[in-house]
Amino acid sequence: MMDNALFGLTEDQIAEFGLTFGVAAFILFMLFIVFNLARESKAGKFGTFVLFLVLSFGMLGFIAKNVIQWFIHL
Amino acid sequence: MNDKLARVTLASPLLWLIRGWRDFVRHPLPGLLHGLSVSLFGALLYAVADQQFGLLVGAFSGFLLVAPVLATGLYAVSRELERERLMSLAELVALWRGRDSRLVGFGLLLCLAGTVWVLTSASLMVLLSPAPINTVADFLRHVVLSGSPWLFELWVLLGGLLAAPIFASSVMTLPMLLDRDCSPMSAVRASWRAVADHPLVLALWASLIAGLVLVGLLSFLLGLLVVVPLLAHASWHAYRDLSASASAASSVKER
Repeated sequence: MMDNALFGLTEDQIAEFGLTFGVAAFILFMLFIVFNLARESKAGKFGTFVLFLVLSFGMLGFIAKNVIQWFIHL
Repeated sequence: MNDKLARVTLASPLLWLIRGWRDFVRHPLPGLLHGLSVSLFGALLYAVADQQFGLLVGAFSGFLLVAPVLATGLYAVSRELERERLMSLAELVALWRGRDSRLVGFGLLLCLAGTVWVLTSASLMVLLSPAPINTVADFLRHVVLSGSPWLFELWVLLGGLLAAPIFASSVMTLPMLLDRDCSPMSAVRASWRAVADHPLVLALWASLIAGLVLVGLLSFLLGLLVVVPLLAHASWHAYRDLSASASAASSVKER
């Protein structure tokens, strides 16, 4: 990302807009999936999937971070 | 349907990888060509976005979202291997030249999701990081080795949250579009249903994919030469088991 402004907006303003728009789009998409699965009463299980995915990604991040730190300190 | 085939357990992702590896070894040329193109494309991305780290990460992860479309040729190779046939490169080229409109349409949708992803990921990086991050070295210094202990984990965690709906929409979709004459929406629905039927197994599968891709990226993109074909072939076997499990379940319901 560049330091200079784009279309009269600062980098932080663009980032904030991007994040708001991006996260909103993903949440809407997630709601759409849940709505579709709810008809077959499987929405809860989709929630389980998201929860486990997020937690295991967090764990993966933790492991990756330690491996990278160990590698750099070698 | 064979019961043994239809059972999807926590060990299944490992089995998919083993079967994927076997396919890769039996007919390595298409896999290596796909892996090579992805590695070269990754190197190109790196050369273009080297000084804009947020964009680089976004581009890499966005590219991974679209990767299942690029792997379609390898699903076809795996399918032919099941029929004891080695697919020739000419047949692979013919598959791409056929321009299946369903595959192209779904690919474009994934590109759109990838673009939103690039935007979100780059913004997240700008807002979360304590200092401006322009290069990989900046990222290592300020995020991975930073004093704020959970910054990197938080960033990966949020990435996981954004990846969940996209993974859920594509885990079965592309192999299914290749294998059956069905609409993209019904393939996506089958994918969501598979995720809801096997939430833990597929969360494990997604993490294995993410971990292997990470190894591919950290090995200066060289690992992708093997990781890309391995995951593509394995995804075919995942599709096979998941759809067998779904049809076994629906036949039980009908009874």
